[in-house]
Amino acid sequence: MSAEPQIELIGIDKYYGSFHALKDINLTIPKGQFVALVGPSGCGKSTLLRSLAGLENISGGTMKIAGALMNGVPPRKRDVAMVFQSYALYPHMTVEQNLTYSLRLKGVPKEEMRRATEEVARTIGLDNLLHRYPRELSGGQRQRVAMGRAIIRHPKAFLFDEPLSNLDAALRVHMRKEIRALHDRLGATSVYVTHDQIEAMTMADHVVVMRDGVIEQQGSPLDLYDRPATRFVAGFIGSPAMNFIPARIGPDGASTVFDRPDIRSLPIGKKLDPGREVIVGLRPEHITVGAADGAGMTLKVAVVESTGSLTYLTTEEPLQLTIVMTGRTELAPGDAVQVSVPSAHVHIFDAETERAL
Amino acid sequence: MTRTYTPWFLLAVALGLAAIYLFPVYWMYVTSVKSGSEIFSNPPTFWPADPNVGVFGDVWARRAMPTYLWNSVVIAGGVTAITVVLGTGCAYVLARYRNVWIDIGLFCVLMLQVLPASVMVTPLFVGFNQIGLLNYPRTAVVLAAAAKAMPFFVVLVRATFMSVPRELEESALVDGNSRVGAFFSIVLPLARNGILVCAILTFMSAFGEYIYSKSIIQSPVLQPASVGLSGFLGPNSTDWNSIMAYSAIYVTPILAIFVILQRRIVAGLTSGALK
Repeated sequence: MSAEPQIELIGIDKYYGSFHALKDINLTIPKGQFVALVGPSGCGKSTLLRSLAGLENISGGTMKIAGALMNGVPPRKRDVAMVFQSYALYPHMTVEQNLTYSLRLKGVPKEEMRRATEEVARTIGLDNLLHRYPRELSGGQRQRVAMGRAIIRHPKAFLFDEPLSNLDAALRVHMRKEIRALHDRLGATSVYVTHDQIEAMTMADHVVVMRDGVIEQQGSPLDLYDRPATRFVAGFIGSPAMNFIPARIGPDGASTVFDRPDIRSLPIGKKLDPGREVIVGLRPEHITVGAADGAGMTLKVAVVESTGSLTYLTTEEPLQLTIVMTGRTELAPGDAVQVSVPSAHVHIFDAETERAL
Repeated sequence: MTRTYTPWFLLAVALGLAAIYLFPVYWMYVTSVKSGSEIFSNPPTFWPADPNVGVFGDVWARRAMPTYLWNSVVIAGGVTAITVVLGTGCAYVLARYRNVWIDIGLFCVLMLQVLPASVMVTPLFVGFNQIGLLNYPRTAVVLAAAAKAMPFFVVLVRATFMSVPRELEESALVDGNSRVGAFFSIVLPLARNGILVCAILTFMSAFGEYIYSKSIIQSPVLQPASVGLSGFLGPNSTDWNSIMAYSAIYVTPILAIFVILQRRIVAGLTSGALK
């Protein structure tokens, strides 16, 4: 993986009328990297991808692909391939015609085209389906054709717009690995839009979390998990979602005091201004049950859900926490549990700005 | 009423209505082969006592029907060509862009549909006269009738274009095609069925066009069959079985086309023709 940037976005702005859809987006994607744009619907991730493809015009900023300025360049001159959520296969063309559409437009010689088709068909396992029409294919096969149509072009970048969201759960997990493997084999540069943080975490080298047209945070998947910059990122990355509890920094500056007398304070492992209003974030998987030293809090179990390998506990008010335990438990609703969190795993966010402290 | 009865009941209603609608067509064919006295006999006969099939050949030759029908075909063909070429482009734009001006445009297009030909014909006649179009009366009729047929065509074809997913076009753009190229290689083939059906309907209605032709075309050799038919209506006598024979010759090809293409026409109008 070389470090030269394949895609450079500098101060991208996009307006729809008076609606500010993308606000000052800065993003550099090195060649060969797999980048996931993730966020809730309406956060601008698809708009950003479509701007990269040239399907939307940006209102301001600089967009470069492979060093060339792309502002205002029509899609056909950008040499990027896009896989759509609906696959967008041409219904009146066979699989083969779908695959070769871009090559025919480029005027690639017949012989070369045939070789490329065979190669791609082998790569994505469609050899015996070349003469079928899209309507005769299953969802997974259509997905592969859409991928093949992108691969055959050897583009400067692959753009994926939620390509897996129309597949069933099992196939989605499978295609996740396949797309990533394909990316590595081709040494491609990929931008992948998804609303599913698990897809983003498992597939990408670099995750960009967006919200309301702004990049909230970007970094490696584990970096975002370990060091979320804002409460939003903390809540978005990780499943089940992080527990958030409003609190205040205690007089010693090194622990939090909760507003309820029945909840004990929690050491935070750092020094902050005493009395500051904060939000405490605890990941369900970092909460340990049954602390021996008695340092934890005593809570009552409300719900126990087991998947076999994992058990999800939900505790009762006044402190409703989701807790993930590996393995199984004898605990039943109504039981009292001792819970504690190592101070290294306590996330503290400012109550007002919601930024990590 | 139980569920098993409903379809039979509805079917009976449908058949009854169809019979009422189709009776004039039946009556046209029957009357054309009746003798003069049988036509006016009371009570009427529903099956001719002595069918005279010779009347068709007689009317065909006597009334110069080949000329009239050819003129009808020319006019209908011209109307269809203009409507399809201009209307398809118009419908595409109206289908793909959404803003207030498009809504205003669509409203205006629909308003045009409201104006009846009999209201339009006088101003059109004056206008055509001033620019000298009346020297080419068939061209003038084609233009006038195409303008009349356009709104209907645009509204229907617009719906067809709206059923073609936008992503297909975007995909073609990213795949390296231009806007125009994507239209011709992706959108147009997918909308083909709908356009074809609307073109056929336009042709059929233009084939029976009367008001503009009657008003604008003076020379009998340039008149279409619809105007030729009115030549039978003399002040003193009305030759009913010739009129009916003429009508039968005129209508039968259209009916035949409609029957043959009926399934496709209905399918093309109702479905998106896609999947």
